[in-house]
Amino acid sequence: MHKTLDARGLACPTPVLMTKDAIEEDKLNTVEVIVDNEAAKENVSRFLGSQQFSVSTVEEENDYKICAQRQGYMVGTISKPEDCPQPAASDQKQKIMVLIATDRLGNGDDELGKKLIISFIKTIKEMGDELWRLVLVNNGVKLTINDSPVLEDLVAYKNDGLTILVCGTCLTHFGLLKAKKVGETTNMLDIITAMQLADKVINI
Amino acid sequence: MLVGLGAPDDAGVYQLSEDLALIQTVDFFTPIIDDPYDFGRISAANALSDIYAMGGVPKTAMNIVAYPMQKLGKDVLRAVLAGGIEKLKEAETVLIGGHSIEDDEFKYGLSVTGFVHPQHLYTNKGLGSGDCLILTKPLGTGIINTAIKGGLASSETILRVTELMAELNKTASEVMKSFPITACTDITGFGILGHLAEMVFGTDICVTIESRTVPILPEALEFAAIGFVPAGSHRNRSFRQEMVKLAPDISLIMRDVLFDPQTSGGLLIGCPEKYAVELKKHLIAKGVKHAAIIGKVFDKEKEIINIV
Repeated sequence: MHKTLDARGLACPTPVLMTKDAIEEDKLNTVEVIVDNEAAKENVSRFLGSQQFSVSTVEEENDYKICAQRQGYMVGTISKPEDCPQPAASDQKQKIMVLIATDRLGNGDDELGKKLIISFIKTIKEMGDELWRLVLVNNGVKLTINDSPVLEDLVAYKNDGLTILVCGTCLTHFGLLKAKKVGETTNMLDIITAMQLADKVINI
Repeated sequence: MLVGLGAPDDAGVYQLSEDLALIQTVDFFTPIIDDPYDFGRISAANALSDIYAMGGVPKTAMNIVAYPMQKLGKDVLRAVLAGGIEKLKEAETVLIGGHSIEDDEFKYGLSVTGFVHPQHLYTNKGLGSGDCLILTKPLGTGIINTAIKGGLASSETILRVTELMAELNKTASEVMKSFPITACTDITGFGILGHLAEMVFGTDICVTIESRTVPILPEALEFAAIGFVPAGSHRNRSFRQEMVKLAPDISLIMRDVLFDPQTSGGLLIGCPEKYAVELKKHLIAKGVKHAAIIGKVFDKEKEIINIV
C-alpha cells in the first residue's frame, strides 16, 4: 500500500507523528511525505530510517518530498524505550504501589478496622498484574509477623512474584525485626525510589 | 549601568553603590508539560536562573500571567502559581506583585530582581585561554519535551525531566562563588552551542568540547535517533553553524543534542584549569550531581567551537 502525506505548515513533532501513524496503522510499504521546512525533513527522514525504510528526498520549489520504501518489506515496529508504561494508553499495564501504614483500615472502631484490613489484603489481588509493590510502614509492618491474620496471604502474594517491602526502622522500633516472616526489609530511600517509579501510589 | 542592551547577557545589571549592584531579568513561556503545578515550578526555576548565572542572589519577584480564564478556569492557574511560589520559597525570594491579562494562549513567568557585588558579577564574556568549562545539568530537555508532545515519553522519563527542569541553579551558583570564575551563563533556548557561541563571539579564543564528557539524558539520544528533534535545534544550528566545527566521527544525533534548546538548563561555568577539578568536586558534593568538565579554552583560533 502507498500513501502521500501532506505535512506542510506543521511544526515538529507533528510531521513525524503523522508519518508514524500512517506506517503503523496502514502498514504502508511505501510512503511519500511532503514537508516545507528543514527540521521536518530531517526528522521525518530520520524516523523512517529508524523504521527500516530506505529514504530519498527531492527538493521541489519551497517543499521537500520525502520518498521512502520499506526495506525488503520487513515489518518494522516503532521503537519505544523498554519497560516504559504509557499512562495514556489503556491497554498498557501500569505500576501500582500500595503503601500501608496501619494494621487497621480507617478510623472509628478498631475491631472493625482490623477486620477491614484483613479483607483489604485478601482482596487486593484483584488489582492483578498491575499491583507492583506493597510497602509496609509504621503499624503496617505488624501485618508481616508470626501472628498476623494475613501472613498466609502475603506469603502467597510474594510467591506469586509481588515485591513486598517492609520498613526496617519501623520493625526495629517495635522490636519486630526477628518476628517478620515475609517481605524484604527496606529503607526510606528504596521506598522513595519505588514511589518515584510507580505510576500510581495508593496510601492506606 | 554594568550590563545592558549593548552586550546582551542573561540579565541587566545596574550599579547602586561601590559594593552593590541590582540584577533584573524577566522570562515567561507557554506550558511545556501538562501538570500545572510542575509547569509553575519549572517556569519559576527558569526565571530565577538568570540571576544565579550572574553570581547574584534573587530577592524579589513579580508574576506575569496571560491566561484564558473561560477555557481553563481558576484551579489550573492557582496550581501554576502555587508551583511558582514553591520555587520562590526555595530561592528565599519574595513575591511582591504581578500582572495578569486575559489571553487565548496561556503564558506564565516572572520578573526577578536580585543583588550582586559588582566585583563578583559573572557575565558570558571573560573566558581566557587555559580555562575549563563545567556544565551543571545534563542536556536533552528540548528533545524529550518534543517526545512528550508526541506521546512517546514514559511516565518515568517525564518525571525525571520535570524534576531536572524544576531544579534551581542556586546551589551551583553558591558553590562557584568561592572559585575564581571567569565567565558564566545558563543554558536555555539557544542550546549549549548557541550560548557558548555568545561567549566566544567577538573574542580571540576558541573552545574544544569533548562530546564524550558532556552529560546527556540517555532518552534524548534515543528520541533524537527516531526524529524527535525540536525545530529550535535546527534554528540554533543554522544561526551558529559557521562557528562550530564537528569532528568527522560526531554523529548527527550528538550534533542535534548540542544544539537542543533547553528549558531551565544548567550553568556553563568557565574557570582556570587548575581549579576545575576542585570546583567539579565541590559541586557534586553539594548535590549538583551531574556537574562535569566538558571542554577547554584555547587561543589557537578565533571565534570557533570544536566538537571532538
